Amino acid sequence: MFFGLFSIYPVLNALYLSFFQKHLLSTAAPRFIGFGNYQYLFQSPTFWNALTVTGIFTGGTFAMLVGLSLVLALFISSRKRFQRFLQLAFFSPAVVSTVVAAAIWLLIFDPRGIANQLVNTLAGTPGVDRRWLVAPGMLQLATMFVYVWKYVGYFTIIFIAGISSIPRSLVEAARVDGASVWQTFWKVTFPLLKPTTLLVSVVAMIQCLRTFSTQYLFSQAGSPRGPIDVITLNVYHTAVRTFQIGRASALSIILFAIMLFLSWLQFRVARSEEVSYL
Amino acid sequence: MKRAAWFLVMLLALGLVATAANPVKITFWTHEDPNRTPLEEEYIRRFQALYPHVTIERVTYPSARIAEVLLTAFAAGKGPDMFNLEVNDAYPYLVMGRVAPLRPEWVGYASVESIVGAYLGGTLDPVYKDGKLYGLPLELTIWSVFVNKKYFREVGLDPDTEYPRTWEQMMEVSEKLVIREGDIIKRRGFDFRYGYYVEWLLAMVEQLGGAFLSPDGQTAVIGDEAWLQVLRFMQRWGPFGKNLGSPTYTAARSLFNFDRNEVTMCLSGFYQIARIKSNNLAFYESGEWMVIPFPVFENAVNDVASHYYGHYYMVNAQSSLETQEWTWRFIAYMLSNPEEYLTRVGLIQPRKDLLASDVYAAQPYGDVFASDMARSSLVQLHVANPEFKQLLDEAVKAVMLQGVTPEAALATLRTRANEVLAEYK
Repeated sequence: MFFGLFSIYPVLNALYLSFFQKHLLSTAAPRFIGFGNYQYLFQSPTFWNALTVTGIFTGGTFAMLVGLSLVLALFISSRKRFQRFLQLAFFSPAVVSTVVAAAIWLLIFDPRGIANQLVNTLAGTPGVDRRWLVAPGMLQLATMFVYVWKYVGYFTIIFIAGISSIPRSLVEAARVDGASVWQTFWKVTFPLLKPTTLLVSVVAMIQCLRTFSTQYLFSQAGSPRGPIDVITLNVYHTAVRTFQIGRASALSIILFAIMLFLSWLQFRVARSEEVSYL
Repeated sequence: MKRAAWFLVMLLALGLVATAANPVKITFWTHEDPNRTPLEEEYIRRFQALYPHVTIERVTYPSARIAEVLLTAFAAGKGPDMFNLEVNDAYPYLVMGRVAPLRPEWVGYASVESIVGAYLGGTLDPVYKDGKLYGLPLELTIWSVFVNKKYFREVGLDPDTEYPRTWEQMMEVSEKLVIREGDIIKRRGFDFRYGYYVEWLLAMVEQLGGAFLSPDGQTAVIGDEAWLQVLRFMQRWGPFGKNLGSPTYTAARSLFNFDRNEVTMCLSGFYQIARIKSNNLAFYESGEWMVIPFPVFENAVNDVASHYYGHYYMVNAQSSLETQEWTWRFIAYMLSNPEEYLTRVGLIQPRKDLLASDVYAAQPYGDVFASDMARSSLVQLHVANPEFKQLLDEAVKAVMLQGVTPEAALATLRTRANEVLAEYK
């Protein structure tokens, strides 16, 4: 009942609204236009830009999140001391609200902020503005940094839980049989981590596709919107700036369909490579 | 029979008292303004003491957030009883019938015309429709240029005689005033108010003979040469040009008051004076700041200052008639003190009696704002203004930050603005 009310109803309502033309402020009844909103979107360069930008952000962030969190989990699991401290240290950004996280990183990426100072000190190039919030590529990279910083600890913890559930006897047996650290990881740990990796990939991918606050705050702080106009930000602008709630609903449905398809694809790929040593 | 008649009269009287004493709760959403809050809370206390059955809940939101919070609330049918928004954002509420008209008798006037007559000509136009009035102005704002005189002298300029009168001089003077460490600006000479393009950017275009909308409102982006000159100017202003400012730096007007060698000139309204006073009394009293007129281009064909805009108090059309009446009464009660709004908050309500008063005449730089107002007009209103603002923002950022040519940015602006117009035809 609860799930139906808060999850299924909004999706169905958005699907219904996506077939209508409705001004957000108008009290007049919505006008049925069939697939008109979808047709408009598929012909709109702004929509294709949003799709591309979302793809770039999701691809970049997803790869960094999954890769880095696995590496960190392996590193932390292999430590005999400070395990808890390291887990806490990496996890703490996840409890900071995305808005606060973006605000902190805006200060860091400000032309006079520490991102420029750090890079210029390391590169020996005083006074160079790396244009973190301005140049399209740098801006996309900057939003990815914020996201990876915020969520890498969360996925690290999930991987650590997965690693700790692998029977130690399997790892020890491999080592006794002469397997190197790399071979043990590649032939034993990683295949047995498949369910965890699947979970992390699906959650991380959905999380990346749903990104909004970082891009919203960056664009509010003066950055150009085009390079970071992910679908969710486009939904916001379509609804709040252009008042076209039907069109915004159509965009949300497209995003929902993309998420559904990618999740299905991941499950399907993972199922075909299931591993068991039992 | 006589007894029965008396009984009936008594019942009617009791009914009237009960009706009059019906509790009325007014929710009032407004933007944050630290100087206005104590004043309006005082008015609320006084009004509630006068009319104990009325309760007023005043809620503030950051200026940058209130438009979307209100929109969401209205879309859900849960809007507050009264609110104020910048007129560009408020206009769609009027067009879409979401605000209620004011009945003159509620606020002690004989007719709508007599209310309109109490205000400066044209200032109620944005809220006047079909003989009805849908808002009363909290403030009318025009932007002029605030100057920190100390930094002018520091670079060998006399602020009283060498202040910039044209945009070309503004660029020249800013180049002298700017302090950089490599590419990174430490002190700006001047910087624009990015985001508020219908106020200043369109004024610059109009100085050169261009316009955003044709007089009949059917075509967008008029006068290519004017637009291109302005976009080229912005391109040269930005980091890929002379690197004098950028939308990604902290807003110049927010830094100006603190006098920390970060900005020399900014665009702002009369209210900035009260904010300088509350943020930095020493700077306010130092005499080291002044206000100068909005510049024009050297080849300007129209002497146009920044467009003025307003914040209007409006009432939710979905509120009950009784709530609407008491809300308008409360608004009129607050706005009957224009001198206090002027002296304590720095807000100019465009009432004729205020503008003719000694109190107004005694305000510092009131003459500069008044003369800029005389060569200005209200922002051009359209139901799609929130979207137009977004398109202008994209055009300016494209040339300033993304290396797009002014010609390409203008072509995109024209196509998209006309697409938007077509949707409203």
